[in-house]
Amino acid sequence: MTLEHYLILGAMLFCVGLLGALTRRNAVVVLFSIEIMLNAANLNFIAFWRFGENPEALQGPLFTLFTIAVAAAEVAVGLALVIAVYRHFKTVDLEQLDTLKEE
Amino acid sequence: MSFELVVAILIATVPLLAIFPSLFALTTWLERKALARIQNRRGPNKVGVPCTRIGLFGLGQPAADGIKMLFKEDIVPKGADRLFHLLAPILALIPAMLVLCFLPLDFSFLAVWDESVAKDIKAVQGFALDGAVIFFFAITGINTLSVFMAGWASRNKYSLLGGMRAIAQMISYEIPLVLSAVVVVMMVGSLNAKEIADAQVGWNWFVFTPWGLAAFIIFFIAALAETNRSPFDLPEAESELIAGYFTEYSGFKFALFFLGEYISMFAISGLAAVLFLGGGEGPGVAGYPWLAVVWFLAKIFSLIFVMIWLRGTLPRLRVDQLMAFAWKFLLPLSILNILVAGFAHFIPQGNVVAKVAVWMVSLGILYAAAKGLNGLSRAEVKPREYKYAQ
Amino acid sequence: MTQEITFWVLAIIAVCGALVAVVRRNLIHGVFALMIFFAALAGLFLLLLAEFIAAVQILVYIGAVGILLLFAIMLTERVTGDDGRSITARGWFWGLAAAVAVFVFLLLPAIQEADLPESTQSIQPSVKALGHKLMDPYVVTLEVLALLLTAALIGAVAVAQGAEVNKKEDSDDA
Repeated sequence: MTLEHYLILGAMLFCVGLLGALTRRNAVVVLFSIEIMLNAANLNFIAFWRFGENPEALQGPLFTLFTIAVAAAEVAVGLALVIAVYRHFKTVDLEQLDTLKEE
Repeated sequence: MSFELVVAILIATVPLLAIFPSLFALTTWLERKALARIQNRRGPNKVGVPCTRIGLFGLGQPAADGIKMLFKEDIVPKGADRLFHLLAPILALIPAMLVLCFLPLDFSFLAVWDESVAKDIKAVQGFALDGAVIFFFAITGINTLSVFMAGWASRNKYSLLGGMRAIAQMISYEIPLVLSAVVVVMMVGSLNAKEIADAQVGWNWFVFTPWGLAAFIIFFIAALAETNRSPFDLPEAESELIAGYFTEYSGFKFALFFLGEYISMFAISGLAAVLFLGGGEGPGVAGYPWLAVVWFLAKIFSLIFVMIWLRGTLPRLRVDQLMAFAWKFLLPLSILNILVAGFAHFIPQGNVVAKVAVWMVSLGILYAAAKGLNGLSRAEVKPREYKYAQ
Repeated sequence: MTQEITFWVLAIIAVCGALVAVVRRNLIHGVFALMIFFAALAGLFLLLLAEFIAAVQILVYIGAVGILLLFAIMLTERVTGDDGRSITARGWFWGLAAAVAVFVFLLLPAIQEADLPESTQSIQPSVKALGHKLMDPYVVTLEVLALLLTAALIGAVAVAQGAEVNKKEDSDDA
């Protein structure tokens, strides 16, 4: 399979994640979609590492490792925020969380 | 995919599928007999040869239990999520069996008719993967998903609570499990299961070193908690939340959960044997390669016997005691163990006196830490506050 | 030949898993579809000979992030999709249009016009080399990552517990 196949797959997955982040109301689903986007980017990194030059420098796997760790930390903090918001507003519906907006 | 490759794959995997389920049947019998003897009674001794009265110490009991489970009615609760209710036991069994291929059981001696098939088998075996130990832990982590599915899909408050508690217990004990394996990986310098087993040639098993002994004890305790075995069997105890996350399961699905639990017990004992007990090493292995498989199974079986023994002896831990034990005691101890391992390895040990001194100092540090952490994490019994009665 | 079949099967599973996770009304089904997506992606990493990364993907995403998402769903609104509420935000059409436009007009031309290398290099996947690289040039990144994870851990616990601590202080004063 050529590099183009992997990159198109990565692009498609990124756009599915973008669709979820822009379209859904529930804050937890928006967090899922961000994870999908980050995973698609990881796929791109590993594909470029495999097909590119100088694979002994291991830049693909290293960057992917750091991205996985940062994404896990971000999901933890994001979900803590969502839980705190739910406790206060009793909803996680993004359409109803607009207290900063002018009435 | 040539014919030889297919034969090689079959020889590498079919013996595992043949040995471990039969070992499961033997273990259910052994457990009931051993628990009974610990509790001063006899255990099953009536079911032996069918249609006769000869009870061969109850050895026909596993077969009878299996037939009973197969014929029970399969009840699915009315509001339950049917797809997940079906998938949960399957998802409990698949990681347990998949992980067995990462144990270094070398079946290439079975290819007696052709040398190239033996080479093909060695190329196909999963334990020669560069990251075999990490794959083991990764796939064991999928068990938590099946527990949640079982608890959620049953549409029963008790199942859900039991499932949540079971997941909290499993993810808490995964960390000391992995950290105590990290010590061994650090010393060998490789995540390859075959290399770890080969580094313990002869009698220098890792359990005979001070850091290895502590790591083995931590690994064993965490393995008991991972497989929900007593004294950590809060999720499946009958006197607690009915039966926890598998309350609503009957018949063959329950048998699948049971099978999954026992096979993951075998798999984790197998990893303990590889990491600490020199899996496959024993007298006479150099001459006869099939003895390595026999020794490995003997070690797994002795660890299973210790697990059954602990089940009959120790009382159950309460859920807050369980969590405090993992986070406040085992986790700091396993991190300290890594430091002590570095210390014990790099101090030059010329003669016997230095070796004994290093042993003493290492064990002293670990014991003092254990005592200190034990004192820190005692649950305080406060006077009771009543919310509603004044 | 087997590589091609494996790639197509895993790619279709990944795209379907991601779509179901994003579109499904029932959140729990969505999370399980997301885990299937993570598993398919781990399979793709194995196909690209990045073994360690595949193991870490299963360990971190399926074993930890997935369980975290399930707990978060249990602790917030447990949407099972039984009521008829809308699941999409008000401007959902423009969101869909933006996602499709990004794919068709931005990413696809960039991939097709780029000068991509054709063949694969021969790689010996080795965890030891990864370990050496983490210690030698990238040790600072590793330490900063450790600091980040500690900060995230403390921050998450503090944020999720915040309301209770404040309430306790108020009742002590009164």
